[in-house]
Amino acid sequence: MAARQIVLSFKGAQSAFGFSKLDRSKLYGRRMRQLLDSEGHACSRAALTADGSTLITAGMTAQGYFDNEGRMVSTRELVGLDEQGNTLDPVPSTLGVAQEARLVDASQVSDTRVHAVYMLEPEDLDPQLHDVLRDGQILGFQFNYRADFKAESAFVVLNDEGLFALIGKPVQYTWSELDTLPPIDEGEDTEDDDSLDFGMF
Amino acid sequence: MPQLRKLHLSNADGRDATVLFAPLKTDKPPRKGLPGGGDVTFRRYLAAGEKGLHSALQAKLGDDYGQALVDGDPEIDLEKVGREIGSTNVVQLSASGEVLYAAPQVVEVLLGPDGEEKERRAPLDTPANVNDELPIRWTGRQMPRADVVRRFLLSRSMQVQHVDGLSFDYLFAMAKQLHDADAMVLVGAGPKGRDPLVFQVNGSPYRGFLEGRVDGERYLLLLHLSNMELKRPAETT
Repeated sequence: MAARQIVLSFKGAQSAFGFSKLDRSKLYGRRMRQLLDSEGHACSRAALTADGSTLITAGMTAQGYFDNEGRMVSTRELVGLDEQGNTLDPVPSTLGVAQEARLVDASQVSDTRVHAVYMLEPEDLDPQLHDVLRDGQILGFQFNYRADFKAESAFVVLNDEGLFALIGKPVQYTWSELDTLPPIDEGEDTEDDDSLDFGMF
Repeated sequence: MPQLRKLHLSNADGRDATVLFAPLKTDKPPRKGLPGGGDVTFRRYLAAGEKGLHSALQAKLGDDYGQALVDGDPEIDLEKVGREIGSTNVVQLSASGEVLYAAPQVVEVLLGPDGEEKERRAPLDTPANVNDELPIRWTGRQMPRADVVRRFLLSRSMQVQHVDGLSFDYLFAMAKQLHDADAMVLVGAGPKGRDPLVFQVNGSPYRGFLEGRVDGERYLLLLHLSNMELKRPAETT
């Protein structure tokens, strides 16, 4: 099997898909705000250190992990740790490796914060798998683009436009009850997309 | 304090109430460390000073300055390189590299799916509309849950919550109605509920899908946000 394939095993038969990333700018374009100087030329962004001594422009910074003695640690030395500080087993990339696909309920998809969508191109499609997707069912599987310490949740769906894989992480929620407000974690309500255009509907 | 914000929401009958919502979070990824549990910290540091950048070296030493780097390390500023970068302030630089001390002019640039610029204009401010005078309304579009997740990317989810006993009954009934229908309803802002939801000034507009579940005497009412359909770009269709 080629390495850059999503491979699924469903009821003992394998299917393989090529894939390419889909984002909204490819569908609708995007809108961005540009800052212009007094001459009408585009500005560039920089950072000024808090003490005002250094102006940091593109190409001046680097980043990395350091241990308690201040030694830089290469990424190859790093491991994943659980809450108790125990070393986690590494999770290899799932690309090119058959992943068990199972039928899932739509609520499992809506309980996932999807951060990546791939358009799938079937290269070896098992008819049985195609049939369940054509019936409107959804298949779930584990996905890990590159080796790290935790696989992500992934789903395959089929609609009139084709096959798509949705990649994300499960969300946490607490049921709402009469006597209590659910304990929802504190956090930043980050806006990760500044574009304002909206082409759908 | 939990980050709860107000949401002005109406139900299928057009009855409105102000309730609360909060974004749903995902599990944090495992922290990185050293075998045995040793901690590491992630830091940004200065890798070069201004005089060590390509443009400065090129101006000083000419185009072919590779050997000069080997011979004398002119790119390394010993006073700066390796310094950790703490908090910084964002500044804008003019095209000539000078720090701007006056507010720059802002233009809004519209790019097509092909990346080509289509329009350039003065920016328009978009107000938030989820806690407006007009409530978020149910549209007539109710879709099976499975259809929604197969047609739209649900990229963010909010949990809608009651503030008192009365709003508990209100939201419970809404969740039950959707649960029993195994459906999500498209909700929108504006007089007819056709406008996308905007959660903060100049924030991204989203279509909202309300999903309800009940389990005995408790409920879950989720507002899923989408700004993308699951479809193929025109050139690959």
